[in-house]
Amino acid sequence: MSKLMQKLSENILDKFSMDFLRNQVLKNAYGNDDTVIAGLDPRILLAWYLFFGLIPWFVNDIPFLLGCFLLVMVTTILARVAGLVLFLFALGVFAQTGYLFLVTLFFGGDASAIAPLLILTLKVATISLASITVFSGLDPDKLSNGLMWYGCPERLSFSISYAYRMLPMLMEEFQNVLLSYRLRGNPPAHDTFPGKVRYLIYQVKIIMQSFYPLMLNTAKRSRTTVEALELRGYRYAAVNKAVKKIRLSALRVSYNDWLFLAISGLVVAVSVLLSTLI
Amino acid sequence: MSSMQKQSATQSQKLMIFVLSMSLYGLATLFTELIPSFQVGIVEFSVEYFLFIPLTLSMLFDPLSAALGAATGELVFSEIMLGQFGGLGELEKFLTVTIGVYIAGRLVRDPKNRAMVGVAAFVGTAAQLLMGTVVDILKVQLAVEDFEAVAGLPESVFATEGFAFLNDLLFSGILFALLPTLYLVPKLYGKIEPLIGMAPRTRDSAVSGISPKAILVCVIGFVCAIVAELLATAGTALIDWEAEWAESGTAMAIGIVVAAIVVIAVLLVMRRAGEKKAAVN
Amino acid sequence: MNAVEIDGLTYTYPGAAQPTLHNISLNIEKGDFLAVIGNNGCGKSTLCKVLNGLIPHFITGTFQGTVLVDGVNTLESDVGELARKVGYVYQDFENQIVRPTVLDDASYSCLNYAFPDYLDRGRAALRLCGLEDREGEYVWQLSGGQTHLLALAGALSLRPDLLILDEPIAQLDPMHADRIYEVLRDLNEHHGKTIVVIEHHTEYIADYCKHVMLMKDGQVRWMLPTSQALQRVDELEECNIFPPQVTQAAHRMRRDGLLSGSGPLPVTVGDGLEAFSALRYTPSPRPVPEAPGGGAAVSFQDVSLSYRSVKGEPHTVFQNLNLEIHKGEKVALIGSNGAGKSTLMKLMVGLLKPAQGRVELFGEPIGEKKAEDLSRQISLVYQNPEEMFIKDSIRSDIAYAMQVRGREGWQERTDALLARFRLSELQDRDGRLMSGGQMRRASLAIGVALNPGILLLDEPTANLDIATRREIMAVLDDMKDIIQTAVIATHDMQLVCQWAERIIVLRGGQVVADGTRDEVFGDHEVTSLVGIRPPEIFTMGQRLDPAALCYTIDEFVDCFREVSL
Repeated sequence: MSKLMQKLSENILDKFSMDFLRNQVLKNAYGNDDTVIAGLDPRILLAWYLFFGLIPWFVNDIPFLLGCFLLVMVTTILARVAGLVLFLFALGVFAQTGYLFLVTLFFGGDASAIAPLLILTLKVATISLASITVFSGLDPDKLSNGLMWYGCPERLSFSISYAYRMLPMLMEEFQNVLLSYRLRGNPPAHDTFPGKVRYLIYQVKIIMQSFYPLMLNTAKRSRTTVEALELRGYRYAAVNKAVKKIRLSALRVSYNDWLFLAISGLVVAVSVLLSTLI
Repeated sequence: MSSMQKQSATQSQKLMIFVLSMSLYGLATLFTELIPSFQVGIVEFSVEYFLFIPLTLSMLFDPLSAALGAATGELVFSEIMLGQFGGLGELEKFLTVTIGVYIAGRLVRDPKNRAMVGVAAFVGTAAQLLMGTVVDILKVQLAVEDFEAVAGLPESVFATEGFAFLNDLLFSGILFALLPTLYLVPKLYGKIEPLIGMAPRTRDSAVSGISPKAILVCVIGFVCAIVAELLATAGTALIDWEAEWAESGTAMAIGIVVAAIVVIAVLLVMRRAGEKKAAVN
Repeated sequence: MNAVEIDGLTYTYPGAAQPTLHNISLNIEKGDFLAVIGNNGCGKSTLCKVLNGLIPHFITGTFQGTVLVDGVNTLESDVGELARKVGYVYQDFENQIVRPTVLDDASYSCLNYAFPDYLDRGRAALRLCGLEDREGEYVWQLSGGQTHLLALAGALSLRPDLLILDEPIAQLDPMHADRIYEVLRDLNEHHGKTIVVIEHHTEYIADYCKHVMLMKDGQVRWMLPTSQALQRVDELEECNIFPPQVTQAAHRMRRDGLLSGSGPLPVTVGDGLEAFSALRYTPSPRPVPEAPGGGAAVSFQDVSLSYRSVKGEPHTVFQNLNLEIHKGEKVALIGSNGAGKSTLMKLMVGLLKPAQGRVELFGEPIGEKKAEDLSRQISLVYQNPEEMFIKDSIRSDIAYAMQVRGREGWQERTDALLARFRLSELQDRDGRLMSGGQMRRASLAIGVALNPGILLLDEPTANLDIATRREIMAVLDDMKDIIQTAVIATHDMQLVCQWAERIIVLRGGQVVADGTRDEVFGDHEVTSLVGIRPPEIFTMGQRLDPAALCYTIDEFVDCFREVSL
């Protein structure tokens, strides 16, 4: 228990240094814009995602699910996703199903619970990896153009690009505010167990409190941003159909896109074939 | 003329609040997504709950913009940016967060009244959590086909989800939503508004509490969240994949495989031709 | 036709008691390069927002009078139409950039106004700003100066005839500042743009602007050609605006009868050559600075450090760096953006750990120190004071570090610090809601609260108008007795010359020069290599006599004497 608490309290601010987190997030957001996946047309990829993000939920056939899983695993590797994201994926899958399995055993379940849970795990994993491929692999602008083509609200596609633009600045500011606490604050000694608990509570409190300066600073920022948006015609574009057309005219479907779809289709067909043969 | 000007001014302020709420809550959820949570038995310890950010903003500013901004922020920063987008489930999260925050914001008429702020923060969080729990239970029930048949599974799902709800409400709800909101709202009140160029919310300027219309909108939103899940079940019945495979059999699958291979071959040839052409040009 | 015609403009912000702009009438000619000057709160920025239609279309309030931009009445137009006539670059320009990549941001406005050739327009604007080879990059990969140029390109892409820039060089090092003004001059002279800048740096005004407009209390005092405007030394100083150093020196010498002649005062170094031609350099004895007494306060031993980069290889900042800072020294750390100044400071406070080598603080490695001891020994004041305000009043911010440590008599010490930094009246206000100079003073008070052995200051005078900068320099001077060792990272060479006893020049993570100001500024190889721009008065002295090393106006006035021929 105390070991766990130690891990817990160290993890929040120390082990996962802000610099590391920032680097991983930036890497994931900007570091893979030259991969095969990033070169594909966003509309094709989103349609592809619609298949692999939905269909597995409805199918309980193990060969089919395995085939899909292998395919999305390959695409994830192709998309060169940051390590931390993959780690989170693994953790997420365990949290959803592995943990359920343990609890099921606890409530008197037996091995009969394994098969449905394996299916569930495959489903969750396939869907997560498909989304990692598409959303981490595509660069933000292509993604928002793709979503726009499918009729997503303009506000969402603006939010995506804006988030990618602001993220490095926001993180740096958050980091500096936390640093202020670190340099000037006086964290409780954390050698003993009660000390560690106090340290943990202290850290959580600091993170909460740091949002006070952050809110004010960001409020100042957002005022300039919204004024600048007005000058730069954001509101005009939102109501002007021509703008959307111009923007989307940049999208092109190439042979690579069809090839990607065809290969995916082949994998699915092969796994269906296998499942009928078994 | 003057009325139109006023309208556009509030529009821009709404956009500012949206941007503010989106950036901050997005950033916060990004971190919760990155910092692994820890479980001791079935009690989950995590710094999951940053809901106090939109709660605070919704009590000080326009509740709907703050609520939508927060939901969008979570979607964009932690789901899309990190590729943790969970398909249908996200719609549910989007709606429940929006509704919870919106309710809390509407409840507060005077941000200086601590009791009012506290109650609103708690109610908003509870509403969001409860909706989440209901949808979560439905989700597992739908995903595992023979849910009732698996020994111990239904009980375990109800028990864990129910426990998680209570745990979240008491633990996260009080520690991470109620207390920080109580800390932040009075501190920010009167300071943050001028930065955005607004007058602070007062008893007179506040949008009147929970109106029947607001309730109706919330209920519709929640129904949408559930319908999104129910559509999934209906989908299973309609598509009925396994039956189709069993009947059409191997022949059709082979056909598809062959077709796919042919298409790939043709595409490869065409691509090479295209490259040659480009090289010549 | 005039680019701007304003007649009888009075504007009051919503809810404000007094009008911010009061009965303004003025004309700005087409093709002008106008500097708007005036102290804080005189209505400069508000006037600019009137020109681009944000007032009254976006920011409401009471608006009287007429404003014609390129013959169009702003009241009858809208922000969209005006945006094609007036480009605007904010002081906090970073927040004006909303897209992730460079070309994308430059062409964003054109896309929004539905120009099918939006990308070409964006590229053309980037070319005008000299960013054409960066169009594919992400915005956060740009340096501060390039980011500003991008904001300018974004405004230029709509091809407006009038450009307004709010304090364009406040955050930039001298090289980037020159670049911005060169671009502006090119736009003005070769592309026929009318340019309006809000500017405090009178040296740049003297070099680049055609006209100067002085504003005071919401009114226009006068608008004059630059050379005439800068002659009015007394009137400018009364408004807390300081003419170029050359002008100030000439003004003072004439007043004291040290310089004969009655023609106009020189406003640039070129003018000065003629005006000061009768002066001869007579070195005056200067006190030799005492050698620092103590041992090492900070020492870097073979320190190597690299950052993880988003793509490709890690980026090396330091390779085998060796450096020692002694107790009692006042060190200035200079070098262009990205030379490693901030990284060096982060190493000193233990925020970054070196990959190799060690950093010692008072003889002990930093890594082994407890956070609590560390903060008593060293303290860092950020470039952006807003990030230092973590509490809701500056009183509690100053008290915070002492209070959480249970320092005895912390309340009295807080009172004393508030008084010392002239903040007692403001003690209950939130730091963010104060003026630039007040924020800076508050951040210094926070920095010295624990009485640290070493004080690190990151760009203490950036983003300040000249008057506030002077004030902060005075505060720093005044602090010399309460802090033992201090290190300042800065681009502000006036500050360096007046304050520092030792100057360390960084370039690409290497120490390329280290010594007194005479050793550094006297070495032309170093100054041209690193692109250091000494204060104008120093350059003036050098041009008159290469042996002259005058860093301040006082020294210049002391050293140069008229000799009867």
